[in-house]
Amino acid sequence: MASGNVSTVYISVIDDVVAKVREDFITYGVGDAVLNELQALWEMKMLHCGAISGNIDRNRAPPASAGGAPGAGATPPVHDLNVPYEATSEEYATPTADMLFPPTPLQTPIQTPLPGIDTGMYNIPTGPSDYAPSPISDMRNGMGMNGSDPKTGRPSPYMQPPSPWMNQRPLGVDVNVAYEESREDPDRMMQPQPLTKDFLMMSSGKRKRDEYPGQLPSGSFVPQQDGCADQVAEFVGSKDNAQQVWNSIMNKQESVTKTLSIEESTIPPVLPQRDGIQDDYNDVYNSIPRPVYLAPSDSLTKHDSFMFQQFFFPGVPTEDYNTPGESSEYRTPTPAVATPKPRNDTAGGDDDDDDEPPLNEDDDDDDEIDDLQDGDEEPNTQHLVLAQFDKVTRTKNRWKCTLKDGIMHLNGRDVLFNKVGIIMFWSNL
Amino acid sequence: RRQADMATFELYRRSTIGMCLTETLDEMVSSGTLSPELAIQVLVQFDKSMTEALENQVKSKVTVKGHLHTYRFCDNVWTFILTDAQFKNEETTEQVGKVKIVACDSKLLSQ
Repeated sequence: MASGNVSTVYISVIDDVVAKVREDFITYGVGDAVLNELQALWEMKMLHCGAISGNIDRNRAPPASAGGAPGAGATPPVHDLNVPYEATSEEYATPTADMLFPPTPLQTPIQTPLPGIDTGMYNIPTGPSDYAPSPISDMRNGMGMNGSDPKTGRPSPYMQPPSPWMNQRPLGVDVNVAYEESREDPDRMMQPQPLTKDFLMMSSGKRKRDEYPGQLPSGSFVPQQDGCADQVAEFVGSKDNAQQVWNSIMNKQESVTKTLSIEESTIPPVLPQRDGIQDDYNDVYNSIPRPVYLAPSDSLTKHDSFMFQQFFFPGVPTEDYNTPGESSEYRTPTPAVATPKPRNDTAGGDDDDDDEPPLNEDDDDDDEIDDLQDGDEEPNTQHLVLAQFDKVTRTKNRWKCTLKDGIMHLNGRDVLFNKVGIIMFWSNL
Repeated sequence: RRQADMATFELYRRSTIGMCLTETLDEMVSSGTLSPELAIQVLVQFDKSMTEALENQVKSKVTVKGHLHTYRFCDNVWTFILTDAQFKNEETTEQVGKVKIVACDSKLLSQ
């Protein structure tokens, strides 16, 4: 149960927030009803968490003390909300639908001015309301819980997972954007020649995973310039993918399998591969240019230029692959990566890394948590302190931190502080 | 609008009050009652209000001692994990087995 002081501060914060966003709500044309509903829900949740006490001494009509909620006796006296909410060990237990959406009074529901969506279910309780679960509210709540429009059955325009709208980020450049079709093919020009300026930026060293993406506009297509049709450029696919690609190439099929990360448009094969070494297009991003591929007759084979194009000079328009000697030039800039890996290694290997051994990025993710998980901590809360730091210093193994303006959540309680001095001991055990 | 472009510390959103607000906003956005832009504005305002409230309305000092299990400083945010920590304030002393401390640089706000 929150202390009175904490509760007071929280309530003042809620009031402050609501007051300050009221303007925005009006600007957006949303109206006070929604704002009041927001505040009501927020306070309800706070009460359920025990973060604020039930003595909301303010002038608005609090849902807390109104009406005899059924089963309220099970909770502390102030928690006489609509439905008995047993504050379980789970701190942020999801409230029931009835608590989330205040049951409608018997009057006409207020329509919020949102087009196309029935929001009548969200009513602002005015005065003492009947908070007993009712079929109507249950139906509305039940049907509307998923954000769907209960009347029309339309699914919610917003995704169900929490806060997707807050965390949305545009997807980054597709790392597997085609570099494969980087050769000019005047005969089979599929698309206009894309940028060529980035070719020399390719480092000859070990390719990082992300070196290549973005060199071509996403979705752009580098026309193939060699004789053979390339079907797959790159993908971090599995061996199966590679096999499929290979099969399709060998069969001169035009379609690219869906498993490929790049849906390259089909290039009808013109020249069969004749160098006898199978392509594993997983190698494309494994940066393993095979060093000895240019058989005299293979100057036109796709994978020579293909690989070069892939790795080093995507989109180079003017390569003349008729001359083995010339082509061999492109191998030299890549000494570091010119260690041919057996194809199967990469194909069946770590799919996360295209060209490098596993980065082991996740090795430490659970270390610190696992170490401490099976202690005898409180089962329900991870004690947490959120604050600002003024100074953090260390002398040998002794740390001192000066924090300020923080919220501590310990043993299920919230404590606010203005100043904290923390002394920690670090041990190498 | 005053403070229109101030950066805010979002760390308080992880507190109880912040989580309640986030959940509420989430539900309202999911149900279409509220637009995401407006919800984000509410959260930003919460950041400011919470920061201000802690600064002005709270006057308590706490001491913490414990064993430092992990420390991290990234993007101007310190994260510590203490074990066997003891929190002492004017009234009470509390022991917790493990606590995570997240702290942002206070100087960033006053730019």
